[in-house]
Amino acid sequence: MSYQSSNPLVGEVEFALEGPWATYWIAFLRVVTGWWFFHAGVTKIITDGFAFSYGPAYMQQMTGTALGGIPVWMGNNLAWLIAPGVPLFETLIGLALMAGALTRLAAFGGVIFMSLFWVGNAGFGHGVVNSDLMGLLLFMTVIVLAAGRYYGLDALIEQTALVKQNPKLRYLLG
Amino acid sequence: MTDIIDKAARALSAGLMLFGIVVLGLVETLAGQPFAPVPMTNEAGDVVATPLIAPEIRTGFVLAGIAVLGLYAAYRLVAPLPDDRGVSHETMAD
Repeated sequence: MSYQSSNPLVGEVEFALEGPWATYWIAFLRVVTGWWFFHAGVTKIITDGFAFSYGPAYMQQMTGTALGGIPVWMGNNLAWLIAPGVPLFETLIGLALMAGALTRLAAFGGVIFMSLFWVGNAGFGHGVVNSDLMGLLLFMTVIVLAAGRYYGLDALIEQTALVKQNPKLRYLLG
Repeated sequence: MTDIIDKAARALSAGLMLFGIVVLGLVETLAGQPFAPVPMTNEAGDVVATPLIAPEIRTGFVLAGIAVLGLYAAYRLVAPLPDDRGVSHETMAD
């Protein structure tokens, strides 16, 4: 470990990302984040099937948010997709994260969900940094650190010939 | 020896936390409503269903997992990793 003498804040500080404790924690975060969404999705399926009518209604009420009229338009015009899509995609995102398969693609879906929850809940009574934002940051952390490569199936999928011939797939895996 | 303790701490802490969160969560979900560890009430406020597993049990497992990590941290304070043994204080190079 060495530091720049001129500015100790910009040193070559070693972060042992490949160290066992770092990989352990990245994988743990991924699985718990996955369970969070899997539980949210699968309980909706058990209760209401694929007719989650609250989804479109929730989006129709997102007037005056930072996302403008987009969610309102989606709630009004894409109810056929959102009602079954919310429980289905929450479940699939959760399963993918727990297994560590197609992790980055799944976590990107989680980012979309959490962006809508964070902006739409408008529960900013305790500040803009609330638990919804923390959930959003968890999904982004999973993407940035390629969490599926640690104790996840993506570590194996990325060894296949298909991925080696199409390295761009690693942006969806990992 | 160090490696064994490190692996044991990781396995035990993750095992306890994932058991409390995921495994017992799955059992609770499969057991039917309520899916969350809180009693279900009707409009009159009467409890109509109680969770299969008390939240004290599930949170207890998670806290136990965190405690294992805390114990490991305390162990490392008294038995630092070989690389860190010679470092009694950090100094800026200049």
